[in-house]
Amino acid sequence: MSTVATTTSQDPRRVDLDYAGSERLTMNMGPQHPSAHGVFRAILTLEGETVVGVDAVIGYLHRCHEKLSETLTYAQYPSIASKTDYVAAMTSEFAYVRAAEQIGRIEVPKRAQYLRVMTSELQRVASHLLWLGTWCLDLGGALGGGATIFLYCIRERELILDLFESLVGARLLYGFYQVGGVRYDVPPGWVKTCRETVDLIDSRISEYEQMLGDNPFFMARVQGVGYISRELAEDVGISGPLLRGSGVNFDLRRADPYSSYEDFQFVVPVETAGDCFARYRVRMVEFRESLKIVRQALDGLPEGPISSRPGLKSVAQTRIPKGEAYVRIEGARGEVGCYLIADGSAKPYRMKWRGASFSNLAVLPYIIPGHKVADVVAIMGSVDPVFGEVDR
Amino acid sequence: MIAAIPAWVLLVVAPFIVLNAVIGIVTYVTLLERKFAARMQSRIGPYRVGPHGILQPIADAVKLMMKEDVVPTAADKPVYNLAPIVFLLPCMFIFATIPFAPGLGVADLNIGILFFLAVSAMEIVGLFMAGWGSNNKYALLSAMRAVNQVISYDLPFIFASLVPVLLAGSLQLGDIAAAQSGLWFIFYPVIGQLAFIAFIASTVAAENRAPFDILEAESELVAGFRVEYSGMKFALIQLGEYAHVLGSSFLGALLFLGAWAGPGPEWLGPVWFLIKAMFVFLLVTWVRWSFVRIRVDQILALSWKALLPATLILLLATAFVVVWRTNGGV
Amino acid sequence: MAASEVQTARDVRAQRDARRTDGTDIVVIVRTILSAMRMTFMNLFRKPVTVHYPDKTRNYPDRYRGLLALVYEKDTGEEACIGCRLCEYVCPPAVIKVEMLKSEKRNYAKSFTLELYACEFCELCVQVCPTDAIVMMKSFDMPTTDRRELLLDKDRLHAIGLTYEQSWATGNKLRDMQGPPKQAKPVAHAPAAEAPGKAAAEGTAAVS
Repeated sequence: MSTVATTTSQDPRRVDLDYAGSERLTMNMGPQHPSAHGVFRAILTLEGETVVGVDAVIGYLHRCHEKLSETLTYAQYPSIASKTDYVAAMTSEFAYVRAAEQIGRIEVPKRAQYLRVMTSELQRVASHLLWLGTWCLDLGGALGGGATIFLYCIRERELILDLFESLVGARLLYGFYQVGGVRYDVPPGWVKTCRETVDLIDSRISEYEQMLGDNPFFMARVQGVGYISRELAEDVGISGPLLRGSGVNFDLRRADPYSSYEDFQFVVPVETAGDCFARYRVRMVEFRESLKIVRQALDGLPEGPISSRPGLKSVAQTRIPKGEAYVRIEGARGEVGCYLIADGSAKPYRMKWRGASFSNLAVLPYIIPGHKVADVVAIMGSVDPVFGEVDR
Repeated sequence: MIAAIPAWVLLVVAPFIVLNAVIGIVTYVTLLERKFAARMQSRIGPYRVGPHGILQPIADAVKLMMKEDVVPTAADKPVYNLAPIVFLLPCMFIFATIPFAPGLGVADLNIGILFFLAVSAMEIVGLFMAGWGSNNKYALLSAMRAVNQVISYDLPFIFASLVPVLLAGSLQLGDIAAAQSGLWFIFYPVIGQLAFIAFIASTVAAENRAPFDILEAESELVAGFRVEYSGMKFALIQLGEYAHVLGSSFLGALLFLGAWAGPGPEWLGPVWFLIKAMFVFLLVTWVRWSFVRIRVDQILALSWKALLPATLILLLATAFVVVWRTNGGV
Repeated sequence: MAASEVQTARDVRAQRDARRTDGTDIVVIVRTILSAMRMTFMNLFRKPVTVHYPDKTRNYPDRYRGLLALVYEKDTGEEACIGCRLCEYVCPPAVIKVEMLKSEKRNYAKSFTLELYACEFCELCVQVCPTDAIVMMKSFDMPTTDRRELLLDKDRLHAIGLTYEQSWATGNKLRDMQGPPKQAKPVAHAPAAEAPGKAAAEGTAAVS
């Protein structure tokens, strides 16, 4: 284990439990495990049943996105950008494309902005459905109540993916965005299907809340577990539902509105408890709010072009003038950022992803020690990492 | 008609029939569980193997028989090899005292229910042998926890089963079934329902089924007690588990749901018994597929702090009610 | 706006807190356990969502991005591909290789290879094609046991185009969907074309 970089204990906020005398066991929660989050390796140090140290090892899914983007044009990369956060794929495309538009001062037509908002929120719902399903699967096991909720969530997620399939043609990795707008317009009948799907999902979410909301088994596993204090949350650099579950009222859609988010009415849920249950409640409210935004977008969808660089310009070699920009998007997991340096040619000079899950994983050594082994799974689930974003 | 058959024939043939019937029902009960669980999850269960998956359990059995039997080199061979058998035998013995019709059973002992409870608790030995013999740190840990859990929940199980015994006034299972000819024990006001709920809860936990199956699900991080078993030995352990569940379902149907009482001719009795046992089994399955599991310390806390005192109080209350009724109450 | 929205968030939380307890109330425990079991019970009576593939397939939407194919021109029956290599340049994983064959009236593709095993199915090649030569099908059905069979040459691409049903998307349709078609030569009434909003409103209305 000498090649593993262990985090230092210099930081006074690190929980360093000191058990006198008894032996410590090092256990590897390997890159392949049934906990269904991707390739994550945690080297746990155990004292009996309690975890006293966590060292996270990442990098098993590194695919050199940032170097790859230097060899692809601004028209080619958005399809590849989907693969970072592959669960809510359009978020990453959004960040990249907005960065290019910001440097090049390219206007995005209003209809495209509304379509972007609508698909972003549908992606958020789909991502949270997958989160809920896999979290309950971890908590309840592949044979048992967890699988039931998992299958219900996947059933609803399939409805959203069907919507995307009729809009874009693909279910998981889209290539929907392009510099200047979006690639596809809504087909006839899509708005009606979307409204019906949104209503159906709204009623099903009520069912999930009934199944889980005050369920004593669920709450016994989840309440009081994985407490992130407000100070820690602000210092460590986490974002998204983790931050809002610890009492910090920060949502990029409100703090730094982009793409016409200021036109929409929605509530940003904030909980103060800071444990897994609080983060669960934050995401459950976010479900409903995202569906509200989708309805508002459908009602108010303006007419107009869907791209300010239509036709052959969309796939031509777009030259973005020299400049740099850092653009942030409120993704399903937190702040997804894209830092782009353009040098006047058709390909960026440098592009860096700020992965939401990458920064969220940094909080693990502070909150896991002190819990039992079975709680590690619950905490990982509530942090909701996607390793495409972590390793890029 | 049953009484006209000579006793020695019954002694030899009846266990043979019962054993085979039990094994047959157990294999098909797995299919029933899978289809039921699938329907609760908006999907269909096994469908392709045979029409509507009828041949699925047979396919599973054949597959398990054909699997390679991997034995860890450092395993304690006698203990390791004997553990599945020691686990399976008590789960089969419990069917000995259950009468499937008035007079139709292997051995309707006059301490029938005591035999059932005592023998079903003996599977812990097999369980622990499996954990020990595997020479696997995590298997041993999980086996120790499983033993802990089963012992903790056997006590409420016994107390909940004693409520029908008190109401019927006899330990013999045939008598308990006969005493329900007027009113099934589950319909007794308050006491019957509470006892049934306590019975179901402790049965679910004593069999390591969800939501109390943290031992099986230790495969999230570490392995359960039967990780080192493959092939037919694994099949025997699974058979034992499901036989135990089925046995408890039959016991529950007998203690609370009136066993073979039902409309129709008398020979339909065992069929009704089977249907009621399936109902209890489906109830246990329904609970399994609805809830996430809780941690092992929470499971034990639930048993010792909540379920055991509750069943004790229930038993005392039942005793009072029985005394009050026999002394001229309502 | 911030104050009012935090207020509504508090309202949302307050409503939920009004129903919650700290988990020790026996009535609440029983009620929630029963409601969870009722939910799974209700699902017993819902129709399963399973599609009995491959006996039945689900309905693939019009824009489904399936296999790639080359097509022939409708009127003349000749190959539509003019070997311009635009698809080769735009493909992100660079799976297309084209060689042009020059001819008197029009050009052709001398060879056209597409590595389907590396294809991303991003539809950029379809979007860029000026003659709608490369399109995607509504089917993805091409199972093989050897990956080399997925190295499609021009004949196989044409064969795929004749076998399966074509998706809605072709190059011109995708480009037209995004906005008004660009005029090649400046027209006399140029100021009207400067307002893309108005022209596009008619354009998009006519698209679907």
